Parts: sequence; structure tokens; C-alpha cells
Amino acid sequence: MTNIQSRLASTAVELTIATPEGVLFRLPVAGPGSRLYAMLLDVVIVLGTANGIGLLVYWIFAKAPGFGVLVITLAEFAIGFAYGALMEGFWNGQTIGKRLFHLRVIDQAGLPLRIEQAWVRNLMRVFDALPLAYLVGGISVLSSPLMQRFGDRVAGTLVVLQTPLAVPGEESWMRQKYNSFMEYPTIAVHLRRGVTPELASLIQDALRRRNELAPYARREIYRELATYLQSEVSQFPDELIERLSDEQYLINASGILFGDQRPSRVHR
Amino acid sequence: VILNLERFQAQARPRWKNLESLLEALESRPDRRLNSAEAQQLQDLYAQASADLNRVTHGALALELRQYLERLVARAYAELYYSPPTRSEIWQPRRWLRIFTAFPETFRRHTGYFALSVLITVLGCAFGGLAMHYDPASVDVLLPADYLRNPGERVHEEEQGKARHLDSAQIEAAFSAQLIRHNIQVALLAAALGVTFGIGTALLLFENGVLLGAVAVHYTQQGFGLFMTAWLLPHGVFEIPSILIAGQAGFYLARLLLHRRENRNLRESMREWLVLIAGLAMMLVWAGIMEAFFSQHHAPVLPYGFKVAVAGAELVLLTVYLLLIGRRKIAAEARSIVPSENK
Repeated sequence: MTNIQSRLASTAVELTIATPEGVLFRLPVAGPGSRLYAMLLDVVIVLGTANGIGLLVYWIFAKAPGFGVLVITLAEFAIGFAYGALMEGFWNGQTIGKRLFHLRVIDQAGLPLRIEQAWVRNLMRVFDALPLAYLVGGISVLSSPLMQRFGDRVAGTLVVLQTPLAVPGEESWMRQKYNSFMEYPTIAVHLRRGVTPELASLIQDALRRRNELAPYARREIYRELATYLQSEVSQFPDELIERLSDEQYLINASGILFGDQRPSRVHR
Repeated sequence: VILNLERFQAQARPRWKNLESLLEALESRPDRRLNSAEAQQLQDLYAQASADLNRVTHGALALELRQYLERLVARAYAELYYSPPTRSEIWQPRRWLRIFTAFPETFRRHTGYFALSVLITVLGCAFGGLAMHYDPASVDVLLPADYLRNPGERVHEEEQGKARHLDSAQIEAAFSAQLIRHNIQVALLAAALGVTFGIGTALLLFENGVLLGAVAVHYTQQGFGLFMTAWLLPHGVFEIPSILIAGQAGFYLARLLLHRRENRNLRESMREWLVLIAGLAMMLVWAGIMEAFFSQHHAPVLPYGFKVAVAGAELVLLTVYLLLIGRRKIAAEARSIVPSENK
């Protein structure tokens, strides 16, 4: 359990922006893995387009293959740079690959990137790609606090992760009428104080995905979470626990954590 | 303040949804302009969402809600504070044609960096030439490619036209494409190596100079001076300056990065770097065409004197272009114009 928590904390690189209105918000920075996949996809797209144009050019220049080669070589070269620069510049920081992997290039100030920045970061690829397979760029990403390759550092941009988020909805398990944990307000306070936000959202996720999980996996996960809470955070009396399934334990716990049923209410 | 999350969300959800749909509408517009009613609405909803985010940030356990609100505020913030380029700025062909005047203007604004790259290249040339002069054995180290080491053979081959295919225009076209591509890549690398504080740019220029000096001395020693001049200059008068300009761009970038905190108009500076690269790329296209279609034809077909004369004419035209085209008094005008964001 603690393993999972510390790992979550260490991989989450974030860009923090303070707005003039005095609000802080954080944007998750994309790691090298997803960026690599997005780039590979973009390379496939560029090669596909270039070869498509190539076939057309060969057909047009059937009598003069040398000029066909000239057009193709230069087109391929130009597309290689222009694809990234124009797509990112005019499509709000996304290429097709970046869009599919939920990545977006933005300015360091949290604003959309400008066309100049898009060109600079894409032209700088000749340096980042040195000596082979983006070694220089990769080292730069891993050593940079915001995971920027040299092109990003020069252009003042970075790649953020933008997985779509839905409005947090109302949860069915929050609406139970009676929560037996309420009868032990002191222990419930322990629960509320002892649970970190990460753990809380883990519990929430586990409950929300109830129907996506295989029955065996669900039983195991719920048992692990409930056992951890019971032994490390909040020890509710055994006679109560014996009557509850692990799932009900977690539902009650998240009722305490998220719901309207706050321990503080009981005292009133 | 302990927040009643459930009630809070129920109350705020409609306005978050409003903001979300407004943002979706704006982001799908290509020019991202908003009318005054929308601007007002965006401002209001943004302020509310920011306030909501602040409340959630201090009400500990709503990690998911907080992420959602952060995302929402980030998107609204980007829309509010970003000034998009105007439509005319992007789609006017006249603006694209301005590159032809902007290039020499930018070149003249940064002649200091150009002088630096000339100096380094000349040092490289001197080193290569002197090494070749005093130690002819160093040819194996200095000139890596086989064909450069045996001028006699090479000249003979070239003059006989042995290297040439029957349908030579086709071969030349393909050859010129490869040359253009390779040269632009090298020049771009020289310009990009500015991120190494210019050290990489300097090394690349020096190495280039060594090669140039060594080849020149090697061929001249063996009595092929005129052949070499006629062989290299028709494209060299564009190729060599373009590498020098790439060096100029590299040093400019290095300086830009070292002083980026003091630079108030980084965007304009970046644009200048891009203009230099666009300009040298155009020069290299011309150089590639000349190299493939003109430089490779030798004495019986094209007299050497003619080739050298063409090279001279090219050099004059290039010099005139770089020194005289565009606005003359750049520095004075630049001082009087207040840089505006949406120029």
C-alpha cells in the first residue's frame, strides 16, 4: 500500500502556474514514454504521407524519374519538419499522435504555444535526435524538472498530459441512509485524519470500478484495502467488523471520507 | 472551513458545465476570437471556477474534484490570457513574401555573430591549409573521403565524364535533392548547436574550415587550382556563406539563451532565428541546384573561365542582396517603434 503511494508521488511531475487572480493550478507533465509512442505514431503518419505523395509524383514524373526523386526527397524532408510545426502551431499544440495519447504542447506560462515556438521546438529536433534515437533529447528530458528536451527548453515549451476528466458525479454508494461507522465517532475521526488524499481516491476508484473488475480481483482488492484501513488507520470494534463485508466496510469508510455523513455531525 | 462536498458540487456543477461548453466552443474556432458577451461570460465563469478551486484546494480530500477544477481553470486561463494571431497575419501571402526582405535585414542586424563565424572558419582553413602544406602525409587524417585524396585521378575522371550516366539530367536532379537535404541538415545542426553555448557551433565551423583549407591546398599543390576553383565555387559561393549564416544563427541562439532572463522580447528574437534559418535554407536550395546541374560539368563542355565568372557574378548578387535589400536603417527604426504584441 505504501509502495503504491510513494510511487504515485514520485512519478507525478507537475507544472504549477500562479494566475494573476491568485489561484494556483497544476498541470501534469507528460513522461518520456507516452511522448515516445506519440512520436512513433507521428513518424508512421509522416512516412505514410510522404510515400503517398511519392507514388503520385512517380506517376506524374514517369518520364523523368530523376525529377520525381528530387520532389520526393525534398517533400519528405520538408514534411518531416513542417508536420510537427504546423500541426502544433495551428492545432493548439497537438499532432495526431499527441492527440491520441492525450498530450499537448503548451507554453511554460500555461498558455497555448505560438507558431514561432512550434517551429523552434521542431527544428531543434536535429540536435535532440543526436547521436541516434533521440539520445540527447532523452537525457535532457530525464534531467529536466519539467521533462523538456532541448527543443522545449529553447522554445520555452513543455508537453503536458491531458487525459479527459469528467465532472465528478454523484456516487451511488454515497447515498446510503445509515452508516454504522457513525456510531463510533472517535474512530471515524481517526479514519478521516489518517487517510491521505491518494489513498482516499484509491478507495473511491476501487468502489467506482466495481463492475469493471473481475470478481476475484475485486474481492482481493477490497480485502486488501479494508484490512489495511482496519489494521493501520481506524480500528473499528470486532463485533461491528464481523457483520460487514469488505465492500461494505469501504462504502462506509468513503461515506465518512467524502459524504455528507461527517463525524462532526454526530456530536451536534 | 469544512466543506460540504456533496452540496457544494450540486450547486456548482451547472456553472462548471457552462464553462466547459463555452471553452469547447472557443477551442474549436480556428481564430479563437470571442465577442464581448462571451468574453464577459468567460471572465465570470473563470473567476467562479478559480474561487471554487481555491475552496477545494484547502478542503483536503477531494483529489479528483481538484484535478477536474485545475484542468478547467487551466483551460479558461489559457483562453483568457492568450492573444491569438489575427487571421490576416496568417493567411496573407504578402506576409510570407516578406521573408525575402526580412532575411537580409536580420542578417545585417547581427553581423557581429557572422563575423565570429567567419573568423572561426578562417582559422580552420588556415589550420587545414598549413597542416597540408607542411605535412602532406596528414592528408589521410584531414581528408576522410577517398575521392578527395587523389586529385589527379579525380580530375581525370571528372573531365572524361566517366562518373556520368547517359541520362545525366535525371541523375543530377536526384543528386541535387540529396545535396540540398544534406546541406540543410548540417546547417540546421550548426544553428541548433547554439544550445551548447555556441561551442558545438564553433567546432562544426572549425572542422568545416579545416576540410575546406586542406582540400584547397591539396589540389593546388598538385596543380589543379583552376579546376578546383571552377568545380567548387559555382555552388560554394552560396554554400559556404549559408554555413557561415548557420553559424551566425547558432551564436545568436547561444547569446539568446545566456541572456534569456533579461530579454523582454523573446518571441521576436526567436522569430529572427527562424528567419535566418529560412533564408539559409533558400540559399542552399540554389546551391544544391548549381552543384548538381552546373558545377559537375567540366572543361570541354564548360570552360573553366566561364564557370569562375558565373561564380563571381553569383557572389556579387548575393552580396548586394544581403547588404542592400530591405530597410536600410534598421537600428534607428527599431528603436523608435514600440514592439507590440500583435505585430
